[in-house]
Amino acid sequence: MSEDPVATYWAQVQALFEAVMDLPPDDQLRELHERTVDTVLREEVIALLHADRGSAGLIDLPLEQVAARLIDDADGYRGRLVGPYRLQSLLGEGGMGVVYRAERDDVARPVAVKILRDAALSPARRARFLAERHTLAQLMHPAVAQLYDAGTLEDGTPWFAMEHVAGVPLDVYCTQHPLDLDARLALMERVCDAVQHAHEHAIVHRDLKPSNVLVTVTGEVKLLDFGIAKQLDAVSEEQGPARDAVTRSQLRLMTPAYAAPEQVRGETIGVYTDVYALGVMLYQLTAGRLPFDLSRSTPGEALTEIVEREPERVSAVAQRNTAAWVADVRRGQWDDLDLLCRTAMHKDAARRYRTVDALRRDLQHLRRGEPLEAHPDSLSYRAARFLRRRRQLVTLLGVVVLSLGAIGVASVRQITRARDAARAELHRRNELQQFLLALFSGNEHGAPPDSLRVLTVVERGERQAAMLERDPSVQGDLLVALARIQRALGRYDRADSLAQAGIVSLGRASDTLGIATALMTQADIRLEQALYPSADSLLDAALHMLPRNTTTSTNRSWLQGDRAAEVADAEARLQDLRGRRQVLQGHYDSARTTLDIARTRAQGRDADPMLVADILGDLADVAFYKGEHERADSLNRDVLARVQQHAGRFHPRVASTMVNIGATAFERGRYDEAERWFRDALAIAEQYFGTSHVQVASTRTMLGRALVYQNRLEEATEALQQALVVQEASVGRNHPSVASILNELGNVALRRGQLDSADNYFGRMAEVYSASNGDAHFTVAVALSNRGTVAMERKDLPAAERWFREVVQRFAAAQGAMHLNTGIARIKLGRALIRQRRWREGIAESEAGYEVVKAGAAPGVSFLQAARRDLAIAFDSLGQRETASRYRREAEQHDPPKP
Amino acid sequence: MSADQAALDALFSLTYEELHRLAQRVRRGEPGVSLSPTTLVNEAWLKLSATPAAANTSPLHFKRIAARAMRQVLVEAARRRQATKRGGRDAVHITLDQQAAPADASDNVIALHDALDRLALLAPRQAQLVESRYFGGLEVREAAELLGISESTALRDWRLARAWLARELQAAR
Repeated sequence: MSEDPVATYWAQVQALFEAVMDLPPDDQLRELHERTVDTVLREEVIALLHADRGSAGLIDLPLEQVAARLIDDADGYRGRLVGPYRLQSLLGEGGMGVVYRAERDDVARPVAVKILRDAALSPARRARFLAERHTLAQLMHPAVAQLYDAGTLEDGTPWFAMEHVAGVPLDVYCTQHPLDLDARLALMERVCDAVQHAHEHAIVHRDLKPSNVLVTVTGEVKLLDFGIAKQLDAVSEEQGPARDAVTRSQLRLMTPAYAAPEQVRGETIGVYTDVYALGVMLYQLTAGRLPFDLSRSTPGEALTEIVEREPERVSAVAQRNTAAWVADVRRGQWDDLDLLCRTAMHKDAARRYRTVDALRRDLQHLRRGEPLEAHPDSLSYRAARFLRRRRQLVTLLGVVVLSLGAIGVASVRQITRARDAARAELHRRNELQQFLLALFSGNEHGAPPDSLRVLTVVERGERQAAMLERDPSVQGDLLVALARIQRALGRYDRADSLAQAGIVSLGRASDTLGIATALMTQADIRLEQALYPSADSLLDAALHMLPRNTTTSTNRSWLQGDRAAEVADAEARLQDLRGRRQVLQGHYDSARTTLDIARTRAQGRDADPMLVADILGDLADVAFYKGEHERADSLNRDVLARVQQHAGRFHPRVASTMVNIGATAFERGRYDEAERWFRDALAIAEQYFGTSHVQVASTRTMLGRALVYQNRLEEATEALQQALVVQEASVGRNHPSVASILNELGNVALRRGQLDSADNYFGRMAEVYSASNGDAHFTVAVALSNRGTVAMERKDLPAAERWFREVVQRFAAAQGAMHLNTGIARIKLGRALIRQRRWREGIAESEAGYEVVKAGAAPGVSFLQAARRDLAIAFDSLGQRETASRYRREAEQHDPPKP
Repeated sequence: MSADQAALDALFSLTYEELHRLAQRVRRGEPGVSLSPTTLVNEAWLKLSATPAAANTSPLHFKRIAARAMRQVLVEAARRRQATKRGGRDAVHITLDQQAAPADASDNVIALHDALDRLALLAPRQAQLVESRYFGGLEVREAAELLGISESTALRDWRLARAWLARELQAAR
């Protein structure tokens, strides 16, 4: 330090200053001259001594005077333009920011604009402000003040605009209005709705109190201030202590009166924390005061009070109250209200209502005079509850096989793993067990699970999986299992994001095998969506994870025994997905090699039987596309037997295998057999997915085609029309698959001689293709060509000519003049002209088309035959008998042999 | 951001917000609330000490952070005030009189803040002392303990720092 010239200089200044500071001014100067010859130093000290004698301005003023003058401008933004909003008046301010009433300059609708004060000061405050914004953006509920707009001022200050709520705080509302018990409970019910909505988005509010709930003049309830809300599944980039510190400190100075015991102890918060606060609010609204009077407590006393003391019964407090409504409450209602508050505010978070929805249901029961779902917390009740848990655990396995098990053994395995984990660590993982119970049983009270739609179960599972953040490995497994289920349901976007979330969770758990499996699940989903390059890179990433993981130890000891088998399964799965990707790209030979490798990997041991079925199914696809129908058929029948054995007879996989068998029969011209397979598949798919599902629609389309080929046109029309409705509902009206059904329907109508209807279908087909593929796409020309055919059938030759001329131009522009389609269109145009006896024009088009088609198709195809016959007639009419008979002879050569 | 920084930042923002909240109460004229730094910081500490974020913080350490927060609050308030006055939103309406008006508290606070920054380069200990005592309202005894010096040294430091700052502030005028 002493070598630092600045420090040295300052030390000299200080020494001189202190040596003379208490002397009279004259003596000071003399003394200074004696002590140093350094004039600069001396001047410095003299100046300081001078300042020492005078006023130091601000420093001599008490700070509060300065502060009072300065910190009074919360209103300082008034009149400013923030985004499109003009700030009008200050609505309120908190530590975080200021809230203004504002209006757009163009639309006079009031909004509330919240601005982060002093944004640049602290990253933590900024992060929290942005988190609140993000939270609000996710919520859309009539009882939650809605986010409208957000942005950043030029100086970097973030802001957002939200619904402006004109109302009074809930507690004030309740004192101002003569509300009876029912009305009070009804208000709380609506608050519960709003909180439940937030929980469904994995957001815990953490600061529920009456002043954060406004009631409007119409009695509407609006939940405000998500300023310290927490996203339960938020994954922080930061790791370790820094992250913990941030998470802990996100606790604002919560209002102790509404803080749950776990909150004041700094423990993990969850849904149950909000349940507690709602309990306190209910207590306050009915008792007329808070459960604990903390106004005179020191922080330490408040903590003891919240953590240890039981509040006085709400009924006792309320009945001392003189309010008129109290007299109308029945004895039984008081008891129930006591039980309800006690359950919501239980010191042990695990004994509170499991969900806000459960609390809301009991509020409803109380209003209707029905028995509550909450039970008195007696010893016998706890024993009964334990037994019930055990029983549900036992039935769990059965439930899995019955309902979700049908979705795939791999998913079941993952869920089973999670269940085993729950069983092994029953006490620690109370949370997980509750999740599983909620997932597999319709509600806490045991509605039969098989009566539930799969989707309902899955959606509930997704909500609950988000709550498992403390257990990333189990959470990851569940997310991946749910992703597979969504994929099976055809909801690819949802499946993809679930898989992604699963990968993140498993990453947090450092479970490499789990990550590899999850990556493959995501690759599978991308393959279904024809996103080949991204599927490839996911598979590469999965491969990269695989070989290393055999030695990686995870914290799941219960997994070790199965580990080798799981790794082998994962390897086989990887090859299977690679093979499928090759099939989808038309590389059938390499696909067969890859799939054979997969099959070898999955052989001769306890492999996942559904995986084996998948591999065999993909090999069947290879055979099918290579035209090896016999082989495809026998492979598919093998797959069917396996799937039926392991997943039951009503599994969607059974249905899709049946469709494949039917398609092979169709290709072999066995239309009646194909029809039977399609009908069986349809029955299963409908039972499983309901009637309005993409897979149901596509199966119905295939059924329609099988009926067309059997000339059962009326039935075919019916099947296709049903398929059309479902397809339009599931993929939208302007999807190519809708156009393809319209095409089938048009062709059926054409064959039935319903020409108006056919023209109508083809017209719509053209519109749909134009909207989905673009107007220049060749499929639009295909549709218009069909309209030309209808015109030909109507003998409206000028109209047919117009259609085909347009079609020729469109095909030539889209696919080139030498394309087969252009050639065929010219032959058709030629026919329209020849039928109008415009021989020369007709011959020119027909011959040109003939040359194009001859170059690219087998010499006997129907279009060439048609052209030959048309040309023979035209040349005959022109008296060119020789040319005519040449075409006629050629046509006869290619006619199928007569029996 | 390191763990320490994050914790510090978190504690800082809590303090910052509490100060604002207390300032509001003073403005509303609530009885028994004052903006004296000693009261403010003590009240903030009482509340904060009950929260987990403050679990690993000593009262003294907290007061130091609170002093820093107080300084920031005032400086930001002063800057905002200056911006408004010097034309931010009402630029058109500024008259010559207003421009010629003498420097007020907002200029002083900013000048003091800048001077303190310069003092910190010259004599970190004295700068720290001023921040703690002036903005944090620490007693001499507390400030001395915080800086690890005797009370008499703290008093002498204060006198020199005050003189130095007074000269700087005069020069700035």
